[in-house]
Amino acid sequence: MPRIKTESLQEGMVVSVDVKNIDNMLLIPSGCTLTVRQIGILQAWGVENIEVKSGGDAEAADKMTTMPADALEKLTAEVRATFWKADDADPVFAELFKIILRRRANRPAGK
Amino acid sequence: MNPPTLEELVLALPSSLGSYGPLMQEIEKALASPQCSLGMIADVIEKDIDLTARLLRFSNSAYCGFSTRLSTVTEAIGLIGIQQVQDLLTASSVIERFAGVSNEFVSVQSFWQHSLATGIAGRLIAMERRLPRPDRLFVSGLLHDIGRLVLFLQAPKHAQKIFELYKKERILLREAEVRVLGYDHQNLAESLLKSWKYPPPLVMAVGNHHNPSSCEAARVEAAVVHLSDHLVNAMRVGSSGEHFVPPLNPQAWTTLGMTPGSLQMIVRGIDEQFDAVQEMFLGA
Repeated sequence: MPRIKTESLQEGMVVSVDVKNIDNMLLIPSGCTLTVRQIGILQAWGVENIEVKSGGDAEAADKMTTMPADALEKLTAEVRATFWKADDADPVFAELFKIILRRRANRPAGK
Repeated sequence: MNPPTLEELVLALPSSLGSYGPLMQEIEKALASPQCSLGMIADVIEKDIDLTARLLRFSNSAYCGFSTRLSTVTEAIGLIGIQQVQDLLTASSVIERFAGVSNEFVSVQSFWQHSLATGIAGRLIAMERRLPRPDRLFVSGLLHDIGRLVLFLQAPKHAQKIFELYKKERILLREAEVRVLGYDHQNLAESLLKSWKYPPPLVMAVGNHHNPSSCEAARVEAAVVHLSDHLVNAMRVGSSGEHFVPPLNPQAWTTLGMTPGSLQMIVRGIDEQFDAVQEMFLGA
C-alpha cells in the first residue's frame, strides 16, 4: 500500500490505515474515500503522509506519474518559462510550481 | 500624441448602473423599509426571471457548498445573505457595463474568466485566513484588472502602443503601460472605482494589487488580491493580456501568514468553483 505525501493526495483516493493526529485523535478512518475537505483537514493538522490503497482511480488518473520523461521535461520547461523572474530556491514558488505542473499534466492547457 | 490622463479616461465612461440599476435600487429601498423581510427582497429579485434562475443555480453550486438543495429565492437569500446577493448584482452590472469592449487586444471572455477566477481565489484565501467579508474580496478580485478594459474602450490607440512595446521588448504588460501612459491599469481602476463610490478598502486593494506592501490602509486586502492574481496567472485560467506570471511579492505572502501547504487547497477550490461562477456571470 503506497504511502503518499499529503500534498500529493488526490480527491477519490482510498485511505488504507486510520489517520490520527499527534494526540491520537482519529482524523480519517481507514476505508474512507478522500474528499477535498478531508485533504484540507490533513494539511491543517500537519500530517505529512498517509497510506492509501493502490490502484485507485485518482492515482491512475494522475497523468504526471505515467508521462514519458521527455514529455514531462518539455512540459516542465514550458510551464517554467511562463514565470517572470521566479526564484527556484523560494519554497513558495517551488510548491506552487509543483502544483501547477501537475495540474497542467492532468488537464488541457487554458482550462 | 499625448496620453490621456486618468481623469479623462474615467470621466468619459457612463456612470449608470446599467439594467441592474433599478433592481439594486429597489433592494436598497426594501432594505430601508421597517417592514423589510427576506420575502420582500425575494419578490424584487423574482421580477427578473433570468436572474432568479441563475441565482438558484448558483446557490446550489460548489461555490456556495450548501448540503441541502435550495429551491426558492427566499431560501437562497436567507443562506447566502443579502450583502452577498448585492455584491453579486454589483459584479453582474460591471460585467454588463463593459459588454461592448472589442476582442482586439484580449478576448473579453478570457478577460472575465481571469477576473472571476481571481475573485474566487480572493474569497478562498480570505476564508482560509479567516478574514472578515470574504465576499468583498471576491468583488475586489473580480474588478482588479478593470483598468485594462477602460483602456481598451477609451484609448485603443494607446492600448495598441502598449501591446506593441510589450511584445517588442518582452517586458511585463504593466511596465509597458507605465512607459506609454505614465500610470498603469491599477491606477486607472482605482480612479474609476473611487468615482463610482466603491468602499475605500476595495478601491485600495484593487489600486495596489501589484504593490500591496505600499498600501498601509488596506495591506491585507491588497495582499489577498495580489496572491489571487498570481495564482490565477500561474493556473492560466483566462487572461487579462499578460503573458507572464508576474512575481509574487514576498512581503504580501508574509502579510497573509500563509504556508506553502495551503496553496493546493486554494488552487483546487478555484477549479471546483469556476464553472458555477462562470455560468452565473457569463452564462457559459
